[in-house]
Amino acid sequence: MPVIFTVDPRGGIPIYLQIVEQVKRSVALGLLAPGEQLPTVKQLALDLTVNPNTVARAYRDLERESVIETASGRGSFVRANGSADAASIAAGRDVARGEIESAVRTAKSLGLGRDAVTELFQKSLDRWLPEEA
Amino acid sequence: MTALTIAGLRKNYGSVAAVDGIDLEIPKGCVFGLLGPNGAGKSTTFKCVLGLIRASAGRVLFAGAPFSPAALERTAYVPERSVLYDWMSVREHIGYMKNSFTGFDPERARELLAQFGVGDESKRVRALSKGMRTAVAVALAFARRVDLLLLDEPTSGLDPVNQRSVLNLIINEAAQGTTVVFSSHQIGQVERAADRIAVMQRGRIVLEGIVDDLKAGRKIVEGILPSDDFSVNGLASDARIVRLERNGRILRAFVTEQPDDVAAHMSALGAQGLRVVDLSLEDIFLDAVAPKVTTASVVEEA
Repeated sequence: MPVIFTVDPRGGIPIYLQIVEQVKRSVALGLLAPGEQLPTVKQLALDLTVNPNTVARAYRDLERESVIETASGRGSFVRANGSADAASIAAGRDVARGEIESAVRTAKSLGLGRDAVTELFQKSLDRWLPEEA
Repeated sequence: MTALTIAGLRKNYGSVAAVDGIDLEIPKGCVFGLLGPNGAGKSTTFKCVLGLIRASAGRVLFAGAPFSPAALERTAYVPERSVLYDWMSVREHIGYMKNSFTGFDPERARELLAQFGVGDESKRVRALSKGMRTAVAVALAFARRVDLLLLDEPTSGLDPVNQRSVLNLIINEAAQGTTVVFSSHQIGQVERAADRIAVMQRGRIVLEGIVDDLKAGRKIVEGILPSDDFSVNGLASDARIVRLERNGRILRAFVTEQPDDVAAHMSALGAQGLRVVDLSLEDIFLDAVAPKVTTASVVEEA
């Protein structure tokens, strides 16, 4: 599998959270298909030059959130439960929720009220997700 | 399971305490980064742990047991200043290590030396640059089969490519369950390779924790006050704020929990343009070793 993750260890976001987010994004975009194997903890740690316990923590979080599953001795795989798209939809929703939270928080900290944020949100929806006629 | 326990460790030189009572529990399989300004006591701590200098007080346990010949066989140490012998060649050092430690693999040493660009084993150590001496010392240490690696500035003098090689060697060892304790002034390296850190200053530990948790917990909440003389007394009782910095109308609160709630509190007091800023490990380190301005003193001035 090609390395599709990049992390910024020098930033202020915990590295394990960056990995969790990247895996979810890759699952949502189909770069990682249901049933596909993830790199081993050691391989990803060496590829990214980050601590292996940090990678293991990210994998544990992803397991707990049912994005991946680990078969002992065989490795970690993108979960393929029920509908093939379920994992991908759930992962996409998680990533998007984080982005929207952050956008609303920024708007609030800049002094925008509920009405102003709703208006901006509506404009954004009209542009990217227009209602079909 | 604890790989290394340090309890009440102290080392006095006359009236000066180089190590002033430190306690650390280093779990098995972790990479522990020891940070601190020059003279903080990092190297003295390494030497006391190994019994190379006699501690004034305190206890050190290796996997729960006192230091013994068996523990020495399972521990590798790369000191801050190279302990290689100037008059010996690289090949003679390999032979010396082979005779000294049962778990030493000469083939692995040669492989690592080649990786670091030390191809000519007949060279005497005296003819090597400072960086190459570090590389030889690191290669010899990593060619041993050990449970614990103590590395005092293992990347000092190395070029960026070899620095990255050392980090990957550390990561590779950690992935196999080896415990690694290393010191470095390069915070970016510690941030990558270490999962836990301690910051030392004047012989004491001023900050300790899991790197990702320190980053997750510590934020700066920044806000703009309506005027230069605006009172922020209302924040004095907020226990989530460990430190306040004020520069005219700009107020920065260093918080250890619930940054969003602190932002809401500051907003309620009249601050505007609130922003929660993430902190890098370097910011957290500098804050830990900086002279402290307490919340109370800022509030009194205001």
